[in-house]
Amino acid sequence: MTLLTDDIRSMLGQRRVYTAPEPIGGAAFRYFSIATGDHNPLYYDAEVATAAGLPGVSAPPTLICETNQYADVPMAPDGYAGHTWDIEVPGTRKMRGGNSYTFHRRIFADDIVTATWEIVNVEEKMTGSGAQMLVISSQATYTNQDNELLAVNAESIVFVEAVVS
Amino acid sequence: MTAYNIGDQLDSFERAITLTDMVAYAGATWDWHRMHYDTKYTDEAGLGGPVVDGQVFGALFVELLQNSFGPNAFVHTLDFTFRNLMFAGEVLRVAGSVRSVVDNMVGVDLAATILASEFGPERASTGSAGALVLLGVIDASAVDGPSGSER
Repeated sequence: MTLLTDDIRSMLGQRRVYTAPEPIGGAAFRYFSIATGDHNPLYYDAEVATAAGLPGVSAPPTLICETNQYADVPMAPDGYAGHTWDIEVPGTRKMRGGNSYTFHRRIFADDIVTATWEIVNVEEKMTGSGAQMLVISSQATYTNQDNELLAVNAESIVFVEAVVS
Repeated sequence: MTAYNIGDQLDSFERAITLTDMVAYAGATWDWHRMHYDTKYTDEAGLGGPVVDGQVFGALFVELLQNSFGPNAFVHTLDFTFRNLMFAGEVLRVAGSVRSVVDNMVGVDLAATILASEFGPERASTGSAGALVLLGVIDASAVDGPSGSER
């Protein structure tokens, strides 16, 4: 039995686009900075930012890759209210594989972010212990209101066949 | 020429991540999944406790890089895979070393390690992890070039 069904295969190339309804705003940078404990003044002190040659405070880079704030989708029973492909594979355990970020430019308070998600690869593999594994690779491209490329986030979700002993 | 050499160790740091921190991160990112703060949910799911959002590791890697290379450095790429779950109250050690130096581009190997706790022995939170940092620029436009971006 294969995990790479026709239904899964047909998802290749699917896209979802989310545009924030307003500029991201400096308060979001400061909140993220406090929440992570990263008190770099580039994120909240305009004087330090301009001394570094920047036009103003900028976002901690990984902030815009958290796309829930743009998604505007209803909250699920598990509390999640962000982008998802809604893929369920019976008889498997779902895991996150990893992230690969490419940051192209700093994000400033007046940027209005659009996140464009696309499924870029689906493939079946075997684990070292011989279990089947389905890997869904997707990519989010972040742009602003002037269509400037801000960042790209490639990530993978892995479904591993549950081994019945 | 840069002031960095292959093998240089960045100034590592340790960070305890409490349940309060996790609630703050959930608010900052609009990620309200119950696995990150709701012990009833995590008990029922057999998770062992509220789980730290994996993207926190990315944010802490950026903190290490930006603090190490200063305000005139730009983190251009950052890659990591997930290996082990981290739970509320555990302490993470974030470290890095210079892997390559080419012109103003510094490649860095990164590691995030969860210190031993009631949840288990010391273990890696991430698998292979690395970054490319550009020195003396405010962004990656010099690398992207006029046709390398959608500007």
